[in-house]
Amino acid sequence: MSAETIEEGKDFIVIDNIRKVYKKDDTETVAIDQFDLTIKKGELISLIGPSGCGKTTILRMIAGLLEPTEGTITIAGKECKEPGADRGVVFQDFALFPWRSVRKNVEFGMEVAGVPKDERRERADEYIELVGLGDFKNSKIQELSGGMKQRVGIARALVNHPDVILMDEPFGALDAQTRNIMQNQLVQILEKTEQTIIFITHSVDEALFLSDRVVILSKRPSRIKEIVEIPWERPRDRAGPEFTALRKRILEDLEKENVMFHH
Amino acid sequence: MNFVYDDNNKYHRFGKTCLIVALSLIMFVEIWWILSLLANTNVFPNPAETFEALIDFINNGYSHQSSASIIWSSLSLFIEGFLLALVVAVPLGLFLGYSKGLNTFVTPMIEVLRPIAPIAWAPVFIYGINYSVGPILVVFIGIFFPLLTNIIFGVKKIDQSLIDAAKTLGANRTQVFVKVMVPSAIPYLMNGIKVGLGVGWMCIVAAEMYSPVSIGVGYCLSSMCQNSLWPSVFAILIVIAIMGILTTSVSEYLQKRIAKRMGIE
Repeated sequence: MSAETIEEGKDFIVIDNIRKVYKKDDTETVAIDQFDLTIKKGELISLIGPSGCGKTTILRMIAGLLEPTEGTITIAGKECKEPGADRGVVFQDFALFPWRSVRKNVEFGMEVAGVPKDERRERADEYIELVGLGDFKNSKIQELSGGMKQRVGIARALVNHPDVILMDEPFGALDAQTRNIMQNQLVQILEKTEQTIIFITHSVDEALFLSDRVVILSKRPSRIKEIVEIPWERPRDRAGPEFTALRKRILEDLEKENVMFHH
Repeated sequence: MNFVYDDNNKYHRFGKTCLIVALSLIMFVEIWWILSLLANTNVFPNPAETFEALIDFINNGYSHQSSASIIWSSLSLFIEGFLLALVVAVPLGLFLGYSKGLNTFVTPMIEVLRPIAPIAWAPVFIYGINYSVGPILVVFIGIFFPLLTNIIFGVKKIDQSLIDAAKTLGANRTQVFVKVMVPSAIPYLMNGIKVGLGVGWMCIVAAEMYSPVSIGVGYCLSSMCQNSLWPSVFAILIVIAIMGILTTSVSEYLQKRIAKRMGIE
């Protein structure tokens, strides 16, 4: 399977029988076990589950920042062993370079890839506009609000046209209102870019609002409990009867896992 | 007059600070004067005698040397020692912070050398190596260790998520080092420079006392003491203090500017 033969709707990311064991001295903790998942190109898939269930571990393995104990992860037929620009990451704590301006942050990936300066600037500006920060291109990171910072994080990942963007509770550090705005904006960006996204959240509401599919994980050792298809058109009505009914059902399922959840 | 102090007005705040600083300095001179009266000895001149000697030193210098050449003599040794420390400590600190194995290997050597007062090296370097290179090496030692430990600390303190971010944006090891670790360490480097300059300035004065060729402030100090020129001795102490304050102020200013530029405030 090569990149050229992958079309939208085919299996694009294949997570095959992943197991992750943390060893410390003599104790072994199984974080993830028997984890299988295939993701299609252009899909937005959410992973949701109890705190500490290993959602971030899965994401870090896809990013190549962690190695699975067993199993393989392939994207477009290529195994993910090391981090690379083909998988963009949006971090919960933003992880922006504080000594760089907004534009210079967005340019980072192109800079290390050796893209010429003019092209870098042009592409960076395009994506800064896309996330609505056109007036802040030269701003310092510490001058921005949390929501604006995360938009820089999203632009920085999008601009490199990665195969997939991995988002680790990207709106978790934001207040409820900003979070809603960011979710709406992400839906708009998605329509323009058809970007494949793996999204980690502990908010059922957020997962239902954004995703094509929601993957519900169990407590540690993390396994897939259920995969829920969300066929509704975007933008979705958070107060609609289907939405609230499905949210209620998922929340009840999750409560059986004996853990408190955000709504 | 109808003046009301407003703490939110920056000019008012600045005025207040100036007033307090002026009062502090006046009080300092007063206490000095009283103590010198109480001591009643030639060794402890009063501020007026010292001020007179200071003016005399500035105009006429000492021992056929102008004051400017005496100050420059110390300053140039200081700058040379500082630059040498910078050239050695910066790359070494970055690599030691970066490589855990190398750090474990080198740390014991550093820890053995670090507690030795830099001034203790003065006779060793000056009589053992060279009259002109010796004082530079003493300054080097004084600045080197604070600089090195601060840089190592800075590299170790780096936010791991910034390194992860750089890796996932496609940066290789060298790029992570150059584009993430080095800039993250710069504010710590500046802190090291600030501490190092203070120590270095003390070192140069002490080192010059041993050096028969460097006619700097340290030489003046010991020569004046031997000749019982006490008001001049105090004038030189004031020159040393002012030079120290100037170097510290410059480095503090740079540190603040750079911290702001690097996004760490």
